[in-house]
Amino acid sequence: MNRAMIVYILGWVLNIEAALMLLPCGVAVIYRETEGFWFLAVIALCALVGMLLVHRKPKSTVFYLKEGCVATALSWIVLSFFGSLPFVLSGEIPSFTDALFETISGFTTTGASILSDVESLSYCMLFWRSFTHWIGGMGVLVFLLAVVPMSGGSHMNLMRAESPGPSVGKLVPKVKHTARLLYYIYIGLTLLEIIFLLAGKMPLFDAVATSFGTAGTGGFGIKNDSFMSYSAYDQWIVTIFMVLFGVNFNAYYFLLYRKWKKAFGMEEVRWYFIIILAAIGIIVYDIYDPSMSFSHNLRDSSFQVASIITTTGFSSVDFNLWPQTSKTVLVLLMFIGACAGSTGGGIKVSRFVVLLKTVGKELNSYLHPKSIRKIKIEGKPVEHEVVRAINVFFITFMIIFAFSVFALSFEGRDLITNFTAVAATINNIGPGLEMVGPTQNFGMFSDFSKFVMMFDMLAGRLELFPLLLLFHPSVWKQLLVKKSTKISAR
Amino acid sequence: MFEKFRKSKTAKQGLSIIIVGCGKVGATLAEQLCKEGHDIAVVDKNPARVQALTDLYDVMGLVGNGASYNVQIEAGIEKADLIISVTDSDELNLLTCTVAKRVGNCAAIARVRNPDYSEEVSYLQERLELAMIINPEREAANEIARILYLPAALSVNPFARGQAEMVRIKIPEGNVLNGQSLAVLGRNIARDILVCAVERGEKVLIPDGNFELYSGDVVSFIASAKEATEFLEKIGIETGRVSDVLMIGGGKSSYYLAKQLLDVGIGVKIIESRKERCEELSVLLPKAVIINGDGTKEELLKEEGIEETEAFVPLTGIDEENILLTLHAREVSDAKVITKINRITFHNVISHLELGSVVYPKYITAEAIIAYVRALTASLNSNIETLYHIIDHRAEAIEFRVTKESALTGKTLRELSLKENLLIACINRNGLIIIPGGEDCILPGDTVVIVTTHTGFNDIEDILR
Repeated sequence: MNRAMIVYILGWVLNIEAALMLLPCGVAVIYRETEGFWFLAVIALCALVGMLLVHRKPKSTVFYLKEGCVATALSWIVLSFFGSLPFVLSGEIPSFTDALFETISGFTTTGASILSDVESLSYCMLFWRSFTHWIGGMGVLVFLLAVVPMSGGSHMNLMRAESPGPSVGKLVPKVKHTARLLYYIYIGLTLLEIIFLLAGKMPLFDAVATSFGTAGTGGFGIKNDSFMSYSAYDQWIVTIFMVLFGVNFNAYYFLLYRKWKKAFGMEEVRWYFIIILAAIGIIVYDIYDPSMSFSHNLRDSSFQVASIITTTGFSSVDFNLWPQTSKTVLVLLMFIGACAGSTGGGIKVSRFVVLLKTVGKELNSYLHPKSIRKIKIEGKPVEHEVVRAINVFFITFMIIFAFSVFALSFEGRDLITNFTAVAATINNIGPGLEMVGPTQNFGMFSDFSKFVMMFDMLAGRLELFPLLLLFHPSVWKQLLVKKSTKISAR
Repeated sequence: MFEKFRKSKTAKQGLSIIIVGCGKVGATLAEQLCKEGHDIAVVDKNPARVQALTDLYDVMGLVGNGASYNVQIEAGIEKADLIISVTDSDELNLLTCTVAKRVGNCAAIARVRNPDYSEEVSYLQERLELAMIINPEREAANEIARILYLPAALSVNPFARGQAEMVRIKIPEGNVLNGQSLAVLGRNIARDILVCAVERGEKVLIPDGNFELYSGDVVSFIASAKEATEFLEKIGIETGRVSDVLMIGGGKSSYYLAKQLLDVGIGVKIIESRKERCEELSVLLPKAVIINGDGTKEELLKEEGIEETEAFVPLTGIDEENILLTLHAREVSDAKVITKINRITFHNVISHLELGSVVYPKYITAEAIIAYVRALTASLNSNIETLYHIIDHRAEAIEFRVTKESALTGKTLRELSLKENLLIACINRNGLIIIPGGEDCILPGDTVVIVTTHTGFNDIEDILR
């Protein structure tokens, strides 16, 4: 394993984190908050460690999938560790476990919080909290690929490990340009949302923080009641943008380059919209109440559906009080998640489409045992390898899910709380039901449970395998044990 | 923002190139062109091949038939600068290029290697408006033939349209050159040759006048064809061409080589295992001796005179067989042996085997295309004539055409401050080959060959510091 290269990448990740932390510093300056100094201290630390690590450029830049996965998983752990330091140092989140949980929740765009009183946080901390969503949404390694000049084609392995979806492709021939294009689209859409929210008379700070939360499909609110107190216009804007950020970014690329047919022919995106409309329909019908106007009803349903399916996790109403059918629909949406190639989490619509088609194929093979039939997406046959990978992903997901629910059960809370807490973290959503419902938080869990959920959040964001690979003994061996030949060479 | 992004991309990042066919040549091209910073899309019907390439290099992969309009559109033919079609099938390559010419406004290069078309290549190229038609087998045959004409050399590459040659020789034990400095060599032995690179062990050196040669060095020098022969004779190396050749394998390269050799009166014997192919060859090459048998059998080789033949060229499609045959031939005979290697893996192992002359058809083709692409990149002053990777890709010899006045022209070479590890090897002024010294100068209209261990030169002015 090319350890020098992994270390080099980690160094760059730290440098980038240091650079990104300058933004909350700026916020601290604007609001004249002394907490900004803690950011400066952490920036100095990150930059120092980062500079030391990138100081020596590795001789060999060869990079295989395993290095890509390990580098990605380690990057996210390192990123979260250093990202949590400002919270701890400033004393705003005194417990290290809590601070780490909050930061991982931020970077993985989960939005599950351990804070009961968000509004007591200083502005710069609030900003950093929301900004972690934005960084984590598209991914810090994709950012790295876009800005740091690295030669060689093997860096696609980094992007593959970090970007969500069963098969990550390129939009343009070069990794660097693909990464840049994705960030251009990302930044463009985020700016658009900020402008729309400002047009609705939302204060600038709120607009920026909300947009970061929406763009990364994160869901940290800056108000204790998440999104309930904002105007109907703001809620609609956020609903629309949540849905937009859950769309496969390839669609935007096709639109930008005027490939209309391809953009609208994307099967996954079609299913995504069909699922959203169906879910809204069911909930509108289910929560129908003569005392509430239809538009209000529609707005609440749409907001919640968009928030959950894109795995954002904002809430404009306490859906824990909704009837059972609506709650069930929301929990099911948690697992479906957004489109592949978006910033959202969950299992992904495209995987479900393939899984359902596999079921159809299986049924068909009972009717015509000798028939041969290929699963097709957008008219193109899906390789057997891809189908297999999706099946394994689904099973692994379920295994991790089951174990996590079991691990949480020791604390004696009810099944719905545990079940939805794990569902909300592994799918990177945020709020669940009952004791982790939209008006509640994750603060009451024990440290052990929190670590389980931190693992779930990272596993969910990195699509399981990059993180699981870290637990493979042969990876430890390759990472930690030096090869004898190398020693003799020295 | 996006418009700007797109424009700046083509202006700065080189060309966008589509490569159809991810076989050996396709892969070599993808690797080389990617290194030079171009945007590459590769197309192949076989998903595994595409996957393998996209894993290794920074290229975009597409699975499909490269001749199909839809696939070409998806690969971005509308904005592409060049399409290179190197699939197995000549007809598909021509179709791909024809379709591409109609759809996009790009240059097209096709590989056509079937001897059926070899007479018509220039006609096809003109009528189909192709930038280039490449034929690796034929190029390989040409290169082998050049070595057979001068068997003392490890390799012979032409420059300045054949007016000068780069010859690579190994200095034998006890040769007069042992211990000589290049300055003395130039004064006493040969005035008009220029040593431009020396391989000593693992290192490649670009020498200056004080450089001393030793036995065992592999020396590359440039001279006109006549002077090269004279020089070799002076230092006591045989220069007569071979009179008969034994070839193993009757593939396309064998055909091209045999045809060329027979035309100049060199005897050819070909051993081929397939009966039908033997019959075909006997019709195509009436003067050659065609033997139907397994060329990897020791007894057969002995019977057909491997011990007496002057040259032995294994040209089977399997590299391992070629290498083993070469090693065997070196054991049992004194023949000049030339090895053809198709796949370019295990390069270090092959270079340790001391095979002598080795010919890599895939490199030859890739280099022709890369030279073309470099010229296309600097489309305003497209002045690269030829480009050779010499010494197993560790140095480049580039032939530039000097079209206009510049900082370089009109000054003596002594006055120019050139980059290190770089040598102006030869100047061709209206057919007159000048091996330059410090007092010579470059004039507009010249063709200049430089040798360097730098890579990526696009223009003659790149040689300045």
